[in-house]
Parts: sequence; C-alpha cells; structure tokens
Amino acid sequence: MMLAPNPETGLRAEALSVGYGDRAVLERVALHLPRGGITALVGPNGSGKSTLLKALARIMAPSGGTVLLEGQAIARLPSAEVARRLAVLPQAPVAPAGMTVAELVEQGRYPHAGPLRMLRRQDHDAIRDALAATGMTGFAGRALDELSGGERQRAWIALTLAQDTPWLLLDEPTTFLDIGHQLEVLELVARLNRERGITVLMVLHDLAQAARFADRLVVLHGGRLHSEGPPGTVLTPAMLAEVFRIEARIIPDAETGRPHMLPIRHLPDGAPAC
Amino acid sequence: MTGRAPWPMLAGLLLLTAVAHLTTGPVAIPLAELPDHVIVHAVRLPRLIVVLLAGAMLGLAGALLQTVTRNPLAEPGLMGVSAGAVLAIVLAIIAASRIEGLGMVRDTGWHLGLAGVAGGMLAGALTYALSRRHGVSRPVLLVLMGVLVAGSASAVTSMLLLTADDNQLRLVLHWTIGSTNGRGWVHVEMLAPYAAAGLSMGLLSAGIANALQLGDGVAACLGLRVEPARLMLIFAAAVLTAGAVSVVGGIGFVGLIGPHLARMLVGNDARRLFPAAALVAALLLTLADLGARSLPLGWIEAWSRSPVTAPSGIPVGVVTPLLGVPFFLWLVFAHRPRA
Ligand SMILES: Nc1ncnc2c1ncn2[C@@H]1O[C@H](COP(=O)(O)OP(=O)(O)OP(=O)(O)O)[C@@H](O)[C@H]1O
Ligand SMILES: [Mg+2]
Repeated sequence: MMLAPNPETGLRAEALSVGYGDRAVLERVALHLPRGGITALVGPNGSGKSTLLKALARIMAPSGGTVLLEGQAIARLPSAEVARRLAVLPQAPVAPAGMTVAELVEQGRYPHAGPLRMLRRQDHDAIRDALAATGMTGFAGRALDELSGGERQRAWIALTLAQDTPWLLLDEPTTFLDIGHQLEVLELVARLNRERGITVLMVLHDLAQAARFADRLVVLHGGRLHSEGPPGTVLTPAMLAEVFRIEARIIPDAETGRPHMLPIRHLPDGAPAC
Repeated sequence: MTGRAPWPMLAGLLLLTAVAHLTTGPVAIPLAELPDHVIVHAVRLPRLIVVLLAGAMLGLAGALLQTVTRNPLAEPGLMGVSAGAVLAIVLAIIAASRIEGLGMVRDTGWHLGLAGVAGGMLAGALTYALSRRHGVSRPVLLVLMGVLVAGSASAVTSMLLLTADDNQLRLVLHWTIGSTNGRGWVHVEMLAPYAAAGLSMGLLSAGIANALQLGDGVAACLGLRVEPARLMLIFAAAVLTAGAVSVVGGIGFVGLIGPHLARMLVGNDARRLFPAAALVAALLLTLADLGARSLPLGWIEAWSRSPVTAPSGIPVGVVTPLLGVPFFLWLVFAHRPRA
C-alpha cells in the first residue's frame, strides 16, 4: 500500500467495558501496549484478566469502548484478519480426545489457509518452526492426552506460534507446570520476543516471575486498571496490600535489577491498606 | 500412524462387499452374469445403492456430531432427528390409512419420505433452538436437549402405536428398527438429493470442523465465526440423518461405530476423518445388510413357536447391533488408544 506508514502500531483499549449478560466485569479500562515488549497482566482471581484478554482478541464484544489494533478498530476487521495478526492462548484449553500434537499445531494455519485449502509449503514450514521452537518436534505424533501437563502446554503454545502472528496473548501459560517448566515456557516467550520481535501480553499469577520476565506490568483490580508501568514502579508494598491484600517485602535483585518479592502474610479483611 | 495406507484397503473391502451383496441372496448370481442379470438391475443394485448411501450418510452425520459436541458418544440420532423422522413417518402411515381407508399403506411412498425429512429437520431445529443461550449454542445443551426431544418424540410414537392395528404395527416396526428390505430405484431417487446435499456440505466443512473441535474459545482465536460454523455442521448432520432415516428407518450403531473405526484408521483430522467415516459406515451397513439377508431364522421360530413374519428377510436394523456391540466391546477393551 502506498499510504503513509501507520503511526499507531500498538494495541490500544479505549474506555473498554465488558460484561457477561447484565454483569459488568470490566469498567472503562484504558490500556496501550506498544509494539515490541513483554507485558504481564496481573491481578487477583476474578479481577477480569481473562475477560480483558478476550476483549482485546475480539473473542468477546465489549459493551462499551473500542479496541484498536495498529490503529484499526478490531471489531470491524474480518475474523481471519485478526487471527493472522494476533494469536491467543486461552486459559486451560482442552483438545478432543486422541488428537495428536501435529494435528493440533496444524490448526494454527487455519487463518492463513482457510477452511477449504490444503496446507501449502509455507504452512508446513510454519508448523515445523513452531514445533521446533517449543521443543515439540519429537512429540508430533503423540496424542495430547498422553502428554505431561508441561508438554501439553508447550503444544498449545506451538499452536499459537504456527499462527505466525506479530502479537501473542497468553492466558496463564504457566499454570499446572512445575517451576522448571514454568521457567522453560517463560524463557521461550522471552526468546520469541527477542528473536522474532513478537509482542507478548501474558496473564501471570506469580508476581516475581512477572517482574522478572516482563518489561511492563498491568495490574487489574475489580475490573478496573489499578496501575501500569515498569516492574520497578508498579510492584510496591502499597499495591500488593491494596490489590492482593498481602504484606510483602520488595528486594531489588542484584543480578537482574528487577524487583523481587518476598510475601510475608495475608492481610485480614478490613485492615488498613497502608 | 501414516494415515494414508487405509484408503486402498477401504476401497478394496467396499468393492468386495458390494460384489458379495450383488451376487448372494435367495438366487445366487455368478459374477459373469452380474452386469446384465434382471434381478441385479431390478432388485439388488438399487438396494445396494440405498445401503451404501444411507451408510455413508449416517457415518458422516455421526462424525460431524462427534466433532461438534466434542463427545465421542455422539451419533446421528443425537439431536432427536431420527426420533422426529420416525414419529412423522408413523403419523403419516396412520393418517394415510385413515384418509384412504386402507388397511395398509405401502412403505415405498414419497410422502413418507418427505414427512420423515420434515419431522427430522423440525426435531433438529427444536433441539438447536433449545440449546441456545444469548445467541450461542452450547454443545452440552445440544446433547441434553437432543435427549429430551428424542425422548418426547419416541413417547408420542409409542402412544400412537397403541391405537394402530396389526398391519400398521408391523410396518411401523420396520421403520423404528430400520430396514432396507424392498428398497428399489424409487428409494434411490428419494435418497439422492439429501445424500448429494448433505455429503458435499459435510465433507466441505471438514476444515471448519477441525478448528471447531478445539473448543469455542480457540476456534474464535483462529478466526472462525463459531456459531454460524456450528450451525452449518449441525445442519449438514441433520440433513444426512433425516434423509437416511426417511428411507431406511432408524438404523443404529453404524453412525456411532463408523466414525470411531475411521478415527482409528486415519486420526482426528476431519479432512481425512469425514470421508473415512462415510466409507467405513457404508462398508459396515453393507456387511450388516448381507448378514440380514443370510441370517438363519429357524432358531427364532423354534424358540417363539411361531413363524417369523418377515417375508423379505429380517430388517438390517436388527443386525447392526449384533455386529456393532461385540465390535464396540472389542474397541473399548482390546484396543489401546493410539500411541
Ligand atoms: N462465562 C462467564 N459468565 C459469567 N460470568 C463470568 C464468565 N466468565 C467470567 N465471569 C466472571 O467475570 C469475572 C472476571 O472473570 P475473569 O475470568 O476475567 O477473571 P480472571 O482475572 O481471569 O480470574 P482468574 O485469575 O481466576 O483466571 C469473574 O467475577 C467471573 O465470575
Ligand atoms: Mg483468568
């Protein structure tokens, strides 16, 4: 296209309100994710993290406000177009019994190949790349329900990678994984960001990991944006007391320069939030 | 598993079974006389075509519904389509005999086929409507509402049968069990439009089904418009089921086992699974029909001390469970899941 380069390259939510039926979950959330970084979305259970991810990915229609993907209203883009730009890993997805890793990852090419076309060379390349990047090449023929939780999670991430999108939205990619596999997945995410320039937004529950792997933290609390910014400014005792109702010490990590968190105790309800 | 090897085997088996179906029967016809034997042209060929088409339709319908509901126990009757079709046919049989004052209506009539398709589609639409919440149908509700709709339709059918006379009962029994006896060219014509529409719609939607079987959330992330996609798959399954049941009745098992066997042969990719399910189910129904024609009836007569009143052989719907149940048990207990 001969148009001037689009000045807006990020993913932007403006006054985004989302609900289920009559129940409002997100209220007027404003968020801007620039291209290039890793953002961690944190907040207590039920604060609306998954809902925000679904609205950003156009899986849920907002009751108010808009989502702009690289300057375009996402609601007006064709579904396949959105899926070619933005891949999403939902929270705890379930594959049909007996489906193999290869069969799953192949579906990542759906937005590119469409329902009627057979896979082409570039599709097979993308599938091979996705399997290799997640270390799943050797598992291609295995049934998903016969894998360990970590292997299965990597297979699902491979599905989103096969989609070959510049944007990647992950909802709790580390749940059910042991600490070793958690780090493995997070390092994979960091590598994809570094080597392929994929912009990542991921929901994490472990705040120390969020601070360690993300450039920016976005904190949701009760359906509202509480705070956002670099881990050093967002991860504070005050935020932890107010949002998560815990008392914690924040210690700068000498090696990474990121803040590290040491939880001390849960604050009883009604205790002054600092 | 390579997923390619089974095609020649399936084609070969299907051909063998088809030839056996044409050559055997009350009159054995040698292979050489097959092309221009009058019995083959008038009787066996149309019946074979009906069996092949109906089998393929039920197999594909089962595969479609197993994919849509992500439920391995889904079968063509799941949405109440079969029960609705049978109810409509029974209604039509009873109504026709009242109107025409006939003791018995021949079960070859076009009007029975049309009534069956209308009843089946209506039941399917009702199930779909009941399983929608906020504009989205939930697979779990589809299964549940299907049970309710099918149960209600069967209850009404049973009630109607209480008022039916013996001739009507016998005729109706063949519909509820499912039978291919006496099916001729008129039935091929009745079946053909639904087979053409349903099979092409179902096979072409394999790519969509692939995305949909990952669940609504993931499918939406892949750019699929989930609800229209699901409706299309359900509609194709309903057309296939209603069309088949309207001509051969509520034959069970092939639509459940066909897709399972196919999945063992070619895996979960719907682009291979759907055609394989159609072929396997066609093969199974042909085998069952062969069995139905050659099953010895003497022991039943000896046991019940009365003659079996099935002049043209026992209905194939009796044989499919006889064939299906042991096979299914073997499937569940002896066959390890694909490694
Ligand atoms: N399908 C739904 N129907 C109705 N309410 C829902 C639905 N999904 C979520 N909610 C409600 O919306 C609110 C936010 O849910 P959401 O899943 O976004 O939370 P979350 O921050 O992702 O929580 P978690 O950390 O437990 O995953 C919760 O109160 C939840 O009960
Ligand atoms: Mg969540």
